[in-house]
Amino acid sequence: MNNSKNLRDSDIQKKIDHEIRMRDGACKLLAACSQRDQALEAAKSLQTCSTRIMAYMSELQRMKEAQVMQNVPRRSSDAGPMDDRLPCKGKVAISDLRIPLMWKDTEYFKNKGELHRCAVFCLLQLGGEIFDTDMVIVDRTLTDICFDNTIVFSEASPGFELRVELYSCCSEDDYSAGSTPRKLASKLSSSLGRSAGKKLRAAMEPGACSPVSNGGAAPLLLPVPSVPGPKYHLLAHTTLSLSHVQDSFRTHDLTISGNEECSYWLPLYGSMCCRLAAQPHCMTRQMMAGWLKVKQCGGDPKTWTKVYAVLKATSLSCYQRQEDVDANVEPALTIGINKETRIRASEKDPHGKGQNISISNRYGGEEVTHTLNTESREDTHSWMEAFWQHFYDMSQWKQCCDDLMKIELPSPRKPAPVTPKQGSLYHEMVIESSDDLSSTVSDILARRMQELELRSQLGTSPTWMSVFEENSPKSTGFPVRPCTSRLSGHSPHSPHRLPSRSPVSPHRCPQPGLLSSDASLTSDSDSHCSTSPCSHRHDWPEPSSSFSLLSSSPSRLRPRTLSLDAKLSTLRGRGYGGGGAFQCSCQPPSSSLLAPHPASSRSPLSQRSTQTTLSCSSSTSSSSSSNSEGSHSPESSEGGPFSRPSPARRSLRNLRARLDPRNWLQSHV
Amino acid sequence: MSFVPGQPVTAVVQRIEIQKLRQGENLILGFSIGGGIDQDPGQNPFSEDKSDKGIYVTRITPGGPAEVAGLRIGDKIMQVNGWDMTMVTHDQARKKLTKKREDVVRLLITRKSLEEAVKHSKGSHPRQ
Repeated sequence: MNNSKNLRDSDIQKKIDHEIRMRDGACKLLAACSQRDQALEAAKSLQTCSTRIMAYMSELQRMKEAQVMQNVPRRSSDAGPMDDRLPCKGKVAISDLRIPLMWKDTEYFKNKGELHRCAVFCLLQLGGEIFDTDMVIVDRTLTDICFDNTIVFSEASPGFELRVELYSCCSEDDYSAGSTPRKLASKLSSSLGRSAGKKLRAAMEPGACSPVSNGGAAPLLLPVPSVPGPKYHLLAHTTLSLSHVQDSFRTHDLTISGNEECSYWLPLYGSMCCRLAAQPHCMTRQMMAGWLKVKQCGGDPKTWTKVYAVLKATSLSCYQRQEDVDANVEPALTIGINKETRIRASEKDPHGKGQNISISNRYGGEEVTHTLNTESREDTHSWMEAFWQHFYDMSQWKQCCDDLMKIELPSPRKPAPVTPKQGSLYHEMVIESSDDLSSTVSDILARRMQELELRSQLGTSPTWMSVFEENSPKSTGFPVRPCTSRLSGHSPHSPHRLPSRSPVSPHRCPQPGLLSSDASLTSDSDSHCSTSPCSHRHDWPEPSSSFSLLSSSPSRLRPRTLSLDAKLSTLRGRGYGGGGAFQCSCQPPSSSLLAPHPASSRSPLSQRSTQTTLSCSSSTSSSSSSNSEGSHSPESSEGGPFSRPSPARRSLRNLRARLDPRNWLQSHV
Repeated sequence: MSFVPGQPVTAVVQRIEIQKLRQGENLILGFSIGGGIDQDPGQNPFSEDKSDKGIYVTRITPGGPAEVAGLRIGDKIMQVNGWDMTMVTHDQARKKLTKKREDVVRLLITRKSLEEAVKHSKGSHPRQ
């Protein structure tokens, strides 16, 4: 007994030492780093380490106290086994944390003035485990603080208390004001504007606005090293327990500390939305397994069936062979074990050795009883123990035992490539390391297109694909142009929406350099507008055929003589409505496209240059949908007979026509 | 399934959990959505009330993750991973469904048959 205690002591001691080392490292990093985000990250690690140290210290304290208590002789308790029974532990996972903000409308719609930014993160504590989420920078353009992390605590008891703490730190540039002497600071604050001065003053008095969180630690405290640099303050906290566990999203109230005067203040709505799931071990692990003889009540007393029974979750599964358990074979017999089940050990069976255990369940109106027979008394006893333990676990974990809640650990994946919202296509070009850089870019793209073709089995091709059906030769002197259009935000599903466009484009642009091999769609897709040769010659495809893949023909070049004006207006006139693709066509290209087109100095360019960032915002979609509905384009001269189906044509019989993307925007996800 | 301004929206919902399917670099769900507060609700062939600007499922890829999970054409999506879908633009809805860092989407959907099923069950148990 003492040995195990000592082991645990030294365990904790090791953890404390580890955390102290981490904390020292973080302090050093904080002192050394110059960049703001580095400093914020280092400060976050510092906060996490400090909290962990406090938690371990308090646990150590508690253990020492328990040891002292144990030495005092306890009165013997003759209570039954139920009193000493401990419920099984389980996994508790919290994910999709979202904290809504409530900006004043004056703040939210302000266009000028500097952006007041805060860096926030959450500390989650359950038992002895403390985890932190990633840090998120929050400013007035955000409506919610979202943390994507899934945090899993592996050994939680049913009476757990999960403490969620939200820390924030003001992320202004003049942070170094912390080291300004007080007199100078007050002079500065009075001479600066009121709000800026308030912030400065608050930044210099961290203690005034909030208690430094210590996670409710015990008396003994190590002095938290004070380091210059950003410091996090507790902004809000809440505690979750078993009653909050559910297999869906729920909203919980937050207790907010701090007030408007604090530098780290954020206008929280006062609640937090998250998914809290729990998987008790009794639901995921085999609680008991062994060979039994089973017979159903009402059957011939001689027909005992020998089975390998496994007690897990809400049933006792009986397999014919032990190997079947791992082989995922369906059990021969499944007996439900839940709160309603009644289990009794009966008198010694006169016919055989061992005792009988009877399990009764109510299915609908009738009661079904199964009888188990074990080899020996010890077996019977251990099975009964297992059943009692199982019932106890289920009574403790309550709603978690009704059904298994899913807990997913996010699969480790490489961080999403940072795609700049605005930028030249030089930046958007992606060349994988596997590509042989000695080959020309067009070869790389050709390979990519083949991949895309293979992958594109689903989805519709955007109807503006028809624009590229025609491929007429064009001069190679055309300056390099972006050949892959992009619809911002559609990247996840783009490959199968660009089946034939992709093969066409690179071959039209033999010049290496500015070709984007990433097939995702963004809204500066006007490359197609600009380079499509004779879009006006195409008939508007029928709704049904618009969903079919268009054939691609390689090595066609576009004539550069066609004016951009005509192409742009043609495409606008088509009134796109289907898929996100349509949004791009209705937009004049972004300025990023201008970079590769120094030679094409036509009037549309000036129009284009005013367009800066194109993102799939709601304004975009509304403009595209209004285009599709209004179809107000002057170029009726274009050959494509774009005709909006008259109200008479819309009949319930043809759902496909009704789902015509021209009328109603649809997106494939 | 329409809404009266100022009154809470209530509906009988079903929970559907869709595991995204990885196709190369992308995660797909296998269905299409239509609708949104910035779209014309009159064009929605699935909505009972033609002023309903909610997000509806317009197409299901056969055998895709959505069909496997139980999503059906014509379903109205009320919530995605906790985010409300009854009062969002089309693009906001699409974005909530296509987050790259999420492998699973948990939807709350409603459909006419659900409402009817509840109504029938209520009818046979008059104590309700």
